[in-house]
Amino acid sequence: MAEIAGDEAPTPPPPISGEVSTDPYTSIPASTGSNNPPLRTTKPGVKRLILTASVLLSFLVGLPFLLKSTEIHRSPLPSDAITGLAHRLHSAPPSFPCGLHAVFLRSVPDRSDASLTRRLEQSISAQLQLLPATSTAGNVSVSVTVESAGGCSSSSSSNVDSGWQCGTVTSADLVIGDEVFDELLHSALGSGRGDGSRVYTVVVVEVDDAEGMRVVVGKHRHAWVVGKADEVKAVSVIGKVFAKYFMNGGIEEGEAGIGKGEFMPVGSDGNVVLSFSLLNADPSDWVYDWDFEKIGERMLNPVVEALRPIAEINIESQVLYHTPKSSYSYSDDKLGGNVLSMGDIPFFVNSNEWHLDTSTSATGRSKVLQFVVYIPSARECPLYLQLPDGRLSKTNAFISPMWGGVLIWNPPDCSLDSKKTHGTRKKMSSQELMETIEIFIGQLRQLFGLKPSYLSQDMDMPTKFVVSEKGFTEWELDLLYRHHACSNLLSCLTTLESLSSLVRSLPRMIVMDEIGRQVELSLEAANLAQGNATLGISDSSAVHATRARALAEDAFFHPSIMSISYASIEHYFAIYMPFFAPVSLHVLLAAIKELKRYKAERAKYSAFLASQATSS
Amino acid sequence: MAFGRRSPGSSRHPPALTIVTALLFAFLSSAAAAASSSTDAMHNNNWAVLVCTSRFWFNYRHMANTLSLYRTVKRLGIPDERIILMLADDMACNPRNSYPAQVFNNENHQLNLYGDNVEVDYRGYEVTVENFLRVLTGRHESAVPRSKRLLSDEGSHILLYMTGHGGDEFLKFQDSEELQSHDLADAVKQMKEKHRFKELLIMVDTCQAATLFSQLQSPGVLAIGSSMKGENSYSHHLDSDIGVSVVDRFTYYTLAFFEKLNMYSNASLNSLFTSYNPSMLMSTAYYRMDLYERPLNEVPVTNFFGSVMKTLHTDSAYTGFLAAHDYETPLSVGDNLDDHFMLKDRATPRRSNIEKEAQLTPHGWTEVLLEQLEGKNTDTVVMYGLGAMGILLALSTWLSM
Repeated sequence: MAEIAGDEAPTPPPPISGEVSTDPYTSIPASTGSNNPPLRTTKPGVKRLILTASVLLSFLVGLPFLLKSTEIHRSPLPSDAITGLAHRLHSAPPSFPCGLHAVFLRSVPDRSDASLTRRLEQSISAQLQLLPATSTAGNVSVSVTVESAGGCSSSSSSNVDSGWQCGTVTSADLVIGDEVFDELLHSALGSGRGDGSRVYTVVVVEVDDAEGMRVVVGKHRHAWVVGKADEVKAVSVIGKVFAKYFMNGGIEEGEAGIGKGEFMPVGSDGNVVLSFSLLNADPSDWVYDWDFEKIGERMLNPVVEALRPIAEINIESQVLYHTPKSSYSYSDDKLGGNVLSMGDIPFFVNSNEWHLDTSTSATGRSKVLQFVVYIPSARECPLYLQLPDGRLSKTNAFISPMWGGVLIWNPPDCSLDSKKTHGTRKKMSSQELMETIEIFIGQLRQLFGLKPSYLSQDMDMPTKFVVSEKGFTEWELDLLYRHHACSNLLSCLTTLESLSSLVRSLPRMIVMDEIGRQVELSLEAANLAQGNATLGISDSSAVHATRARALAEDAFFHPSIMSISYASIEHYFAIYMPFFAPVSLHVLLAAIKELKRYKAERAKYSAFLASQATSS
Repeated sequence: MAFGRRSPGSSRHPPALTIVTALLFAFLSSAAAAASSSTDAMHNNNWAVLVCTSRFWFNYRHMANTLSLYRTVKRLGIPDERIILMLADDMACNPRNSYPAQVFNNENHQLNLYGDNVEVDYRGYEVTVENFLRVLTGRHESAVPRSKRLLSDEGSHILLYMTGHGGDEFLKFQDSEELQSHDLADAVKQMKEKHRFKELLIMVDTCQAATLFSQLQSPGVLAIGSSMKGENSYSHHLDSDIGVSVVDRFTYYTLAFFEKLNMYSNASLNSLFTSYNPSMLMSTAYYRMDLYERPLNEVPVTNFFGSVMKTLHTDSAYTGFLAAHDYETPLSVGDNLDDHFMLKDRATPRRSNIEKEAQLTPHGWTEVLLEQLEGKNTDTVVMYGLGAMGILLALSTWLSM
């Protein structure tokens, strides 16, 4: 009421006497006493209206800024790229094309003609069709070369080029020994090229004075068969060697091995920590130390380098004391010692006393594989592992998939009187340590899904496998790279899909820029991996696939994606309403009231003008 | 705090597009699911996540519950590195505890739960809903150590035990926040998507416990609660010495079942679940097995409460590795090794001597000074230095005057 009165002509001062019955503010309109709206002589001012209107306007103008500044920042995820990748991977699962090149070294001066090579090629291809296909290997293209004293001819129907130069190797070179022949073949085959699909070579060397056939699988990408055989036999041997070893790593159908998820012990960020521990069960009997730093790391360096495309490996070692086992062994005098059966083995690792997981370099998402050497105490020494068929184990070692391996090492002075060796400090000799590391390499191969060695294989003909100083032969590494690349690609894809669906299902979740960037980098690496897979380059494909998976996991496990801290709509209102609602209510009301008053005043003024017009 | 109902994403997009994307997504996810379910991993290891969500002295029994279960699980073989223990841990050293540093779960005080070798991963104010969900989903900051992470994989069986004060569809965390049943269901769903477990057993000992897992949808989850909706769970007995109740009924009877077992036994889960007597518990222990494929009488309790380790014998070493190594680096094996290193050791001091001489010849006078200072005590050297400084100061003052 005060505002209405204030705009008019100044009110007469209120009566000083006690005439308070009449309200001074209502006295003015009442003084006219007529039904007409009161008149005013001056144009109503617009200052107040402009003032209130401008405040309201500023609120309205600021509203979009408020909404923009408080909106949830969601970095856009390239979901169509993800669905595109999914589509490509599901319709054409990653497979690596490779080549098989068969070389026949004949002693008879036979004229080798193109029809012979073509026939051989067709029979080898037919043989390969019969054998079961592997999941990761794609098309196999076959080519044949027949070399004899009369000349050298190769089938040129496919583009398989292993770089075989005719005349460099003859059957007379076999006398130099298997390892050296292996290197000779390697140099004859052009030492392999890193680009393009992998070509595996099987050389059939015909010698007349041999009975039966002998197969030797080298440590690069070739094998050779020595003996006298007809074509059919040779073709079947070539097919079997290729399919069983080069494609499947010696693992039969249904056997536990490579290709199953539990034989890929690589952390989701691509790191593996190999932790080697020497456990002294009872230091009061004897205390052993080892030279792992010098010897072990040096021996394991080639292995670490060989596995680099699929895992970044760190090596640590420690010596622990007071680490008894938690299963029971019984003494067997017939076998000459204490015996543990295979049924006790799952309870062997005494996790309460064996504090193995003390790695400082292992980050949250890397995998730690424990390799343990257990030195029994004097009471239980010597300790042997008994297999289910009653024989004693030659290695005294076992693994647990995805955990690591344990080896029981009986100290050399076990059978002596233990009182003489009370509490002495000894060192494991270098020879013993190196033999132990040999067993560890076998266990590492087992953990990655391959056989520890091929000694106990039963083939229908004697087969020898050349051992590589890298712990894995090149064809075994190809196998590992292919499997890891495929599985990492698929796991990267499922992670990206879950992330995309999660982000989509929570429309008010903040998606940080870092997540968007990681997703993009992951997609890029995945595309590169898939491209390399179609070309057959397994090692760079494995590198890119590992990187893609690591980035996808980083994005999915980003700590900012926490469901409890989402700003729901009610939350948003609850924050901003106490600030703006009362103020905006008042501003709005003020503007409306101002407008109404202005209209009323204008009506009065126009009435006055009208009355002026009528009176004048 | 109230968590608002999540609005379905479809309400923000035009319907036709939604249908198409939903169909495409359903197709792709089913294809992906088919691909992933075909690779069924073997049971490799067991994990336990034990959570006590209460603090303050009058909730003594909740901490005793959790510690009893911790002790049982350790006794049956799960190591500390695979147990995540979340406790407020304010009982043992509480000023009201007349048995300092001891926590009991029975009035006969026969067993001290807080004895030796208790490793608490999240203690005190670290037990929050956010940390709990971070443990389950694996979304930690990068600096969180491995001992505080749930490092399970697709072959793990996880036991999740929660105790405290709860209600209809919620569980109270430390008197200040709540875990809602749909948050738990959401976390379990994300765990399943990332293959963080093969099977999960949830045991809840609170009031109206069965409501906490009512929203679960993920396969491979088995859940048991100490009471149904509308029922309370009660404590077992009061210890007049300590002054508060020391154990809850559900946990008491669970422990009674496990005291008879050791790590070799193969009692089934069915025998555990049917051992709960509603009249003794004064509530109905309700379990849901609709998401679990295997029949309960075929599952040994050690699948969740004990340790398992699948082992394979190593038939042979990678024989020939040493020889191959010799072949490559002939000089570095056996006795030659020691010679080699001795040669290197002798070489290095000689080389460093040469380097040292090269460094010092321009500064021959420092060598003289070092020789002088060799035999003396550092204190006396300092005294000499201060004395010299004082003399110099006096001299310069006198000269300037």
